[in-house]
Amino acid sequence: MALLEIFDPKAPARPIGIDLGTTNSLVAHVANDRPVAIADCDSVVLLPSVVAYLPDGDVVVGRDAAELAAEHPRDTIVSVKRLMGRGADDPETRRLAPYEFVSPEPGQANAVRFRVAADRIVTPVEVSAEILRALKSRAEDELQSVGGAVITVPAYFDDAQRQATKDAARLAGLDVLRLLNEPTAAALAYGLEKNHRGTFAVYDLGGGTFDVTVLVLDDGVFQVKATGGDSQLGGDDMDRSIAHDLLDQVGLDPAAQTPQLVRRVLDEARRAKHDLTSCDGVHVDVADRGRVFLPRARFDVLIQPLLERTGAACRRALKDAGVTPQELDGVILVGGATRVPAVRRFVADLFQKEPLGDIDPDRVVALGAAVQADLLAGHGRRDDVLLLDVTPLSLGIEVGGGIVDKILPRYSTVPCAARATYTTREDHQTGFEIHVVQGERELVADNRSLARFTLRGIPPMAAGMARLEVKFQVDANGLLAVHAKETTTGIEQTVTVRPSYGLDDATIQRMLTDALDHGEEDLDRRRLAETRVEAGRILLATRRALEADADLLDEGQKETIRVACAALEQATRGEQPSQIHASIDALDKVTQAFAAHRMNRAMARAIGGRPVDAIERTVEHAKGIEAAHGPQPQGVV
Amino acid sequence: MDPFATLGIERRYDVDLGALERTHRELSRAIHPDRYVGSTAGEKREALTRAVEVNEAWRIVRNPLRRAEALLSLHGVAVGEDREPSPEPEFLLEILEQREALSEARGARDRRAVHRLADAVRTRSRHTERELSAGLATRPDASLVGTLGKLRFYQRFLDEVDAIEDELV
Repeated sequence: MALLEIFDPKAPARPIGIDLGTTNSLVAHVANDRPVAIADCDSVVLLPSVVAYLPDGDVVVGRDAAELAAEHPRDTIVSVKRLMGRGADDPETRRLAPYEFVSPEPGQANAVRFRVAADRIVTPVEVSAEILRALKSRAEDELQSVGGAVITVPAYFDDAQRQATKDAARLAGLDVLRLLNEPTAAALAYGLEKNHRGTFAVYDLGGGTFDVTVLVLDDGVFQVKATGGDSQLGGDDMDRSIAHDLLDQVGLDPAAQTPQLVRRVLDEARRAKHDLTSCDGVHVDVADRGRVFLPRARFDVLIQPLLERTGAACRRALKDAGVTPQELDGVILVGGATRVPAVRRFVADLFQKEPLGDIDPDRVVALGAAVQADLLAGHGRRDDVLLLDVTPLSLGIEVGGGIVDKILPRYSTVPCAARATYTTREDHQTGFEIHVVQGERELVADNRSLARFTLRGIPPMAAGMARLEVKFQVDANGLLAVHAKETTTGIEQTVTVRPSYGLDDATIQRMLTDALDHGEEDLDRRRLAETRVEAGRILLATRRALEADADLLDEGQKETIRVACAALEQATRGEQPSQIHASIDALDKVTQAFAAHRMNRAMARAIGGRPVDAIERTVEHAKGIEAAHGPQPQGVV
Repeated sequence: MDPFATLGIERRYDVDLGALERTHRELSRAIHPDRYVGSTAGEKREALTRAVEVNEAWRIVRNPLRRAEALLSLHGVAVGEDREPSPEPEFLLEILEQREALSEARGARDRRAVHRLADAVRTRSRHTERELSAGLATRPDASLVGTLGKLRFYQRFLDEVDAIEDELV
C-alpha cells in the first residue's frame, strides 16, 4: 500500500518547492545545497497544467491529458490557474474557451464549476489539486518521503486566489510551509544574496499571469518594494491573439466555432509562437481550412498591445518603489513567454539594460521555491537569508456611500495587522454589515469584493454610540483574517476571509476523505504518522532551545519542561493521535513563558549596539505584550 | 502600543529613515515567522505576534502623519480626523484651488501639471512637518491637532496624485 511507504518514519521528510503554473507546473528540491528540478520517469521536468476527466471516471494529468484536449476539449481543463478564486460570473469565464460552465445552485458558493465527462462537476481548486497530487507523487518517487511544500503564487494574486491555491494544496494532501510570491522565488533562485546588494526588477510573464516586482537586496534580506501586474495577462493571450488572426485570415468567425476547432487553432497558435522564437516566419494549417503564412513581424504587431499593458504595470512599480530604470542593478526574466524575442527587446528597452536570463525561465520559480522550502525546514545553512514580502493591494472595508476606508495600505510588510474604529449611522442599529474589499480605488464598486459578514446581537443604541473595532491581520502567506468587535458590549466575531469564492473547511475535509482509497482508515493512519512527525519536531526544537538559552530558566522550570518532554516521548510510542496531541499541548503550556523570554532576547540582540536604556525599554515593552496576552495568548489568525 | 519602543528608537518626530529600515531588517531577521517554522507552537505564536508588532511599528513610524499621531497619543492627546478642528478658511480655499487644478490636469491628462501641483503640495507638507516636529519637541499638546489636520489634507492630496499618476502612466 503506497501510503505506508509515503509515511515511512525512517525516511527523512524532504521539503519541496512547487511552481503551480498556468501552462506548466514543476516540483524541485535542494540536493547538496543546490536546487534541482525533479523529472518524471521519462526525464521530463515540466508537467503541462492540464487535467482530463475521462468517461470512466479516471483522471489524467499532464502530457497525456494535453493529448486528449483536441478530442475532448470540454473534459480537458487547461490553464485552470486563471480561474482560481474567481466567481462563477467572472468575465474570465466568457473568454474564448471550450468549457461548459455550470452556474452555482442557490446556496452554493459562487465558485467556477466545470461540467466534465460522466456528468461530473469540478471546481478549479479540485483541478489544481490533481496537478499538485501528480507532482507530489513524482517527488515521492524521487525522495521517498515528502515533507512540507512551498507553493508559489503570482505576487499580484489577491486573497481569494491565494486561499484557493492553499485549498488545492490541502486537497492534494500537501503540508503547505508557505505560499511564496513567484518573483521573490525567482530572485532567491538567482542566489543574488551571495554577491549582490542592490535593486532588482523581476519581470514575470507566464502563461496566464503577469507580475512585476521591484525588490531591494541588502545583507541577505530581500525586501519587496513594489509589486504590480495583471493576474489575467500572459502567453495564453498571445495564443488567443494569434488564433483570432488566423481564423480571420481564413475567413472564419472566431465567435462561431466549435470547441474542438477552437482548441485546435489555439494549439496551432501556440506552436507557431514557439517556432517564431527561432525563425522569422511559419506556415500554419488553420484547422484544415486554409494555410496561412505568419511572419514574425506580424506576430510582433499582434502582441504589441499585450506588451504595452505589461509596460504600464512596470512603470507603476518603478514609480511606487521610487527608482528610475537607470538605478536598477538588474532585471530578471521569469516565465516561458519571456523567451519571445519581442518580449526580451521590450524589457531591455523599458529597463534600459539587458535582462538576466541564465536560469531557465520555466524553472527559476520552482528552484527558488525549493530554496525557500529548504530554508524554512531549517536545512539551509544560509541563516542570513530572509524574504520580506508585502501586501500587493490595500485592504479596507466599505463605509457609507460606497466608499472604501483603507485599513491596511498596500506594500505593508507581512505579517501585519491594523485596526480601525467605526460607529453606527442609525439609531437602534443591532448589526453591522462588514464588507471587506481589496484594491486601490476609492469606490467599492471598482475594487475586488472579498467577503461580507455581519456582526449581530448589539443592543440598540443611539446612532454614533456603538464602537466597532475592525482588525485586519495578514499572515506570512499573504492570507487575511478579519476580527470585528463592538467594544462597548464586547460582542466579537472573527472570520478568515474565504466565503465569497472558496470552499469551506468541511467540504475540503470531505473531499480529502473521498480522495483516499480506503477513506477513514487511511486517514487515521496518516494522522497518526503526521502527529508523530510533528511531535518529533517539537521535541527537537524544545531541546535545542533548552541548550541555547538554559540561563533563562531556573532548575525547577527546566525540570518541568524535561518532564513534559518525557511524557510526549512516551505518548508518541502509543497509537493514539489524540494522546500525542494532549502531550504536545501540555509541553506547549509549560514552555510558553520560556518562548516569550527567548523572543525578548532575540529582539534585544537584534537591536544591539544601541544605548542600553533603549534595549531595556524594548525588552520591558516586549514583556508588556506577553502580560497583555496572558499566559495563553489567543491565536487571532 | 508604543511603536518607538517596539523598534528600540528614541521617541521623537525626526527619524533617520535609512537607519530605521536597517533596524526593521535586523529585528525581522530575529523574529520573522520564517525563522520559526520548525519551532514549538509557543515560539511560532510569539514570533508571529512580535513580527506583526514590529511591522506595524515600522509602518507607523515611517509615515509622517501616523508618526505624529503616535507621538501625540503617547503624550495623552486624543487624535483622529473627527477631533480635528475645521480648517481655517484660508487653508480651505488653498486646498480647494489645488484640488480643482489637479482635477483639471487629470482631465487634460497633463502629467507635467500633475507633477507641478504635487511638488508644490510636497513643499507645503514639508513645512507643516517642520512645524509639527518643533511643536512635538517643545509642547506636545492638543494645540497641534490642527497642524496634524493640515498634514492629513496634504497626504490625502498626494495619495490622489499617486492614483492619477498610475492612471496616466
